[in-house]
Amino acid sequence: MPEYGIIFNIQRYTIHDGPGIRTELFFKGCPLQCRWCGNPESHKVVQQPGIYPIKCIGEDKCGCCTDVCEQSGSLIFHDHKLLAIDRQRCTNCMKCAEVCPADAIKLWGRRVSVEEAMETVRKDVSYYNSSGGGVTCSGGEPLTQLPFLQELLKTCRQEGIHTCVETTLCADWNSIEKIVSDTDLFITDLKHMDAAVHKQYTGLSNDRILDNMQRLAELEKPLIVRIPVIPGVNDTKENMEKSADFILGKLKNQVEELQLLEFMRLGEEKYKSLDLTYPMEGLEFDRDAFTLKIKDFAEYFQSRGISCKIGTTTKEGKGNDKEQAYRHRGI
Amino acid sequence: MTKNKPIGTEAFDKHYGIGYKVGHDGFSPYSRVNKLRKVFLNKRFNIDIQRARLITQTYKEHPELSAKLKTAYALRNILEHVEIDLYEDELLAGELAAPAKAAPIYPEFSAAWIIDELKNHPFDQRAHDKFYITEKDKEELLELLEFWQGRTVADAVEAEFTEDQRKGSEMGKKVYMTNLYHFGGVGHFVMDYEKLLRLGYQGLIAEAEQYSAALEESDSEYTQKKEFYEAMLIELRAACTYINRYAALAKERSSQEENPVRKAELEQIAENCRQVAGGPAKTMWQALQLWHFATTITLIESNGHSVSYGRMDQWLFPYYKSDMERHVITKEFAQELLECAYVKMGNPSKLKDRMTVEVRNGRGWGGESLTIGGVDEAGNDVTNDLTFMLLEASVHTRMMNPWVCVRMHENTPYELRVKTVECIRAGYGHPKIFNDEVAVKAMQRKGMGLAQARNYAVVGCVEPDLPGQEYGYHDAAYINIAKVMELALNGGQCIDCSQYCPRYQECAGAGRTLGPDTGSLKKFQDIGEVLESFERQMKFWTDQMCSGLNLIDKVQKERKPLPYASAFFDGCIEKGKDLGEGGANYNFTGPQASGIGTCADILSTIKQLVFDEKRYTGEELLEAVKDNWEGHDVLYALVNSSKVHHYGNDDDYADDLFKEVFECYCRNITGRKNPRGGEFCPGVYTVNANVGLGLGLGASLDGRKAGEPISDNMGPVHTHAASHDISGPTAIANSVTKADHSLATNGTLLNWKFPPECVAGLEGRENLVGFIGTYLEKGGMHCQFNIMSNEMMKAAMETPEDYKDMLVRVAGYSAYFVELGKPLQMDLIRRTELAFS
Repeated sequence: MPEYGIIFNIQRYTIHDGPGIRTELFFKGCPLQCRWCGNPESHKVVQQPGIYPIKCIGEDKCGCCTDVCEQSGSLIFHDHKLLAIDRQRCTNCMKCAEVCPADAIKLWGRRVSVEEAMETVRKDVSYYNSSGGGVTCSGGEPLTQLPFLQELLKTCRQEGIHTCVETTLCADWNSIEKIVSDTDLFITDLKHMDAAVHKQYTGLSNDRILDNMQRLAELEKPLIVRIPVIPGVNDTKENMEKSADFILGKLKNQVEELQLLEFMRLGEEKYKSLDLTYPMEGLEFDRDAFTLKIKDFAEYFQSRGISCKIGTTTKEGKGNDKEQAYRHRGI
Repeated sequence: MTKNKPIGTEAFDKHYGIGYKVGHDGFSPYSRVNKLRKVFLNKRFNIDIQRARLITQTYKEHPELSAKLKTAYALRNILEHVEIDLYEDELLAGELAAPAKAAPIYPEFSAAWIIDELKNHPFDQRAHDKFYITEKDKEELLELLEFWQGRTVADAVEAEFTEDQRKGSEMGKKVYMTNLYHFGGVGHFVMDYEKLLRLGYQGLIAEAEQYSAALEESDSEYTQKKEFYEAMLIELRAACTYINRYAALAKERSSQEENPVRKAELEQIAENCRQVAGGPAKTMWQALQLWHFATTITLIESNGHSVSYGRMDQWLFPYYKSDMERHVITKEFAQELLECAYVKMGNPSKLKDRMTVEVRNGRGWGGESLTIGGVDEAGNDVTNDLTFMLLEASVHTRMMNPWVCVRMHENTPYELRVKTVECIRAGYGHPKIFNDEVAVKAMQRKGMGLAQARNYAVVGCVEPDLPGQEYGYHDAAYINIAKVMELALNGGQCIDCSQYCPRYQECAGAGRTLGPDTGSLKKFQDIGEVLESFERQMKFWTDQMCSGLNLIDKVQKERKPLPYASAFFDGCIEKGKDLGEGGANYNFTGPQASGIGTCADILSTIKQLVFDEKRYTGEELLEAVKDNWEGHDVLYALVNSSKVHHYGNDDDYADDLFKEVFECYCRNITGRKNPRGGEFCPGVYTVNANVGLGLGLGASLDGRKAGEPISDNMGPVHTHAASHDISGPTAIANSVTKADHSLATNGTLLNWKFPPECVAGLEGRENLVGFIGTYLEKGGMHCQFNIMSNEMMKAAMETPEDYKDMLVRVAGYSAYFVELGKPLQMDLIRRTELAFS
């Protein structure tokens, strides 16, 4: 019985989630609802239509979507252009997305078998080899589709492809354990050290996450920890100190790297495509001061002996150790 | 020194920043270089009429002479009498028979357009590529040009073109464009610099004298050959006289110079000129001086462009090595010399006609490639100090010239790959990368042995060439295969046929069609029939184009022989034959296919919508493009959407059709004979002709509206509605390499455009190193990169004055962005900005 996954994007040549040139699979479904999430299409594990009104050529000229829609009135037009979908009525049957000639209705979430996913993955094997890259499973939360994830990682492993899983770690350890041996690198977030605040902004507490992170560290699994630094949410000195304590204490500094990701207004148009309000809509802050603040945080982590950088890339002229590593790759 | 690893003056991994930077005037560590560069950029483009005056004088005085001797007498007259100058701070002397950056006139090739433009479309009022001329010079030039009416290369070509050749050409419907050699010189070769530096002009003179003396009167071509030697000798001796004039001028300037440092430099320049005015080069400085004179004199003799510099890190190396070993030079000064030479290469300017400028912007000559790296005849890597230093000179000067090309192969050192990527990341459009494995295979297909093939250098944009051995007529024409496809789908008739067409009366008005009727999309039953029609249509138009090119070839030989340039090619002196007569050991003609992506997507659309899914009839599709998509909104949206298979997404459905088109063109060109005893070689690239060729083309089934550019080089389709490649750079690379690039023996070209943030950091650098390596492994012949953001280009369009040194890879050649025409600027911006996120 082949395993199927619901994937909302397979992106080739990604370079930020794991080393080298990678193919990244974005899984649909996530237990958390972080307010700053840039991938709102990942929240639900089902297929959904997303709309891009700017691409609509007009109901009067086309009308393909209304012709196939079984829930009349769920497609809402203004001035003949598709404006929104009444999500109460819509059954996510996806017929409109299938017929739209203009890519104005996009199918969020495609059902793919492991073999189908691998077909795409295999196309870039030579690029992984020359750059030290591989496959990254991201989302959403890949663990929401465990059997598919397991099968996919196992297949990659068998074919010698480097595997990375970007996960919230918000799952039972039993589940995580099932993918540990087939995962070369984990990437996870330390969103907030305070359980209550964590719950306030993501919907769930952080206990399970921290616990699982500790277990991974104990197994000495290669781990990249990220802090998405969000203004007014977790950008306090106190939270950073606690994060450092946690990394040095419970994790015994068993992390490859700590990456501080500066908040960007990502995903705004995707929220609109799903007829959702962008949760960070009203957020205003001083970008320059914020950037400087993050620099200070990074220096703080470094001063405590944690390998930390801002963003996902190493600045030129500062990564001599890394450079040696690259050179030994024998490119 | 030779035992050490090759290295430049800076660390191999020195980082030069990412993306083009505004307002940086000082990239070089040498203040002299920065100063020379600034002076160059601030200088205006003028027209200089001295050359026109002197050549007209000779031709008027000697109507009795043969073409070879006319050429020789004219060159001598120019070299002996043109005003010469030495510029402040320069270390190398010599210009183009005109002041620096001023364009000389070549009336022997074509005069009608110059007269027309002087009178009706002043050069200083062009939208781009402006040139300035004084009223007095304008008057005189018009008078001089009167003499040339009817005597030019272009006049003879036009008199002999048949109706079929004319109607498809630049004089008709522009199915193909042979305008470069119809109106101008050929160039596109690499002279044998190694031999020149070793023997000096006297060595070449001695050789020519020897062969001339040995020529027997019983030889069936005695007169022609004798005349050839005579012409060559006149020109080689005139070159020596000319260089001696510079020696005297430098001497004179040094005696007037008060600054002791400059005085010594001028003294040395005088000594260098004295030495190479006949003798071989004894130092690296003299080698560069001799190379510069030899090349500029070639340009003064004829106006062929893309006269390229060959494998400079190889032929210059013995002089560098000897200087270093004898301690007569420091590495820093060697570097400064190279950078001065680079800035100097920017000086030659060329006045081009309106039509050419429409499709090929830029006031430089264009195409002066400089090749570095690669392997020796045995296949061993040849990277040396100069390989790195020539790259450093490039990133330190960031000039339009030379177009540095790095040859890569599996054993290219990691250090050189990193240096190359650091230059690419700096975002000034250089260097381009060539794949030894594929290019060597292409050279072998051209009939060369493996050892010889390994010595290839790149000419012009992307044409592999054998230095000192080959007269390749590269870049001979551009055929718009999207137009060929249009005719193949529509019974030989233009899709936009109407009574407003200037050819209407003789064509549709008289019941005719532009091309032969090879079938119609209304009737084709399967994709096989479509391809068959395309093949037949292609045969007809390549017949016309190649026979037209052969006619141009014959006229060039008759009206404009090249006895001076011939001295630098193996075979010419020996055989007593001019380059135009087939004197070189290898002779080719290389026309290029333009619009391959467009054709692939047209075929893919037809296959999917008409034959596989049967959603539309062929007739409906034809109607849509005849209506320029008006009233066909759904179909227009659909063919531009991700629901139709498109080339460039690593999708075999469309990529197989790309391969069909690629092979169809190569098949129709390869093996045709040219009059120099050689064969035709296909190239698949557009340089930036895709914009101009698209302008005159009606709507097409790939989702293009009338007048939009056709696809760029080997790249995927970008219409006004959408970019058809949506799967990222690895997918493009995989699609492009599904065809065997070595079949395109005149080269292929692929442009990459990456936003700066995508190549940032050590990871970005290493990913690019890896990406390039894999693209080459998969069989890509060539690629080059733009690292710049759309925002920056938009800003440059708004305030061009702030961006005057912003280089951009415009398809095959590099140019200053602000000098490009608006449609091309827009096209560049529209090209998919590949996001890595």
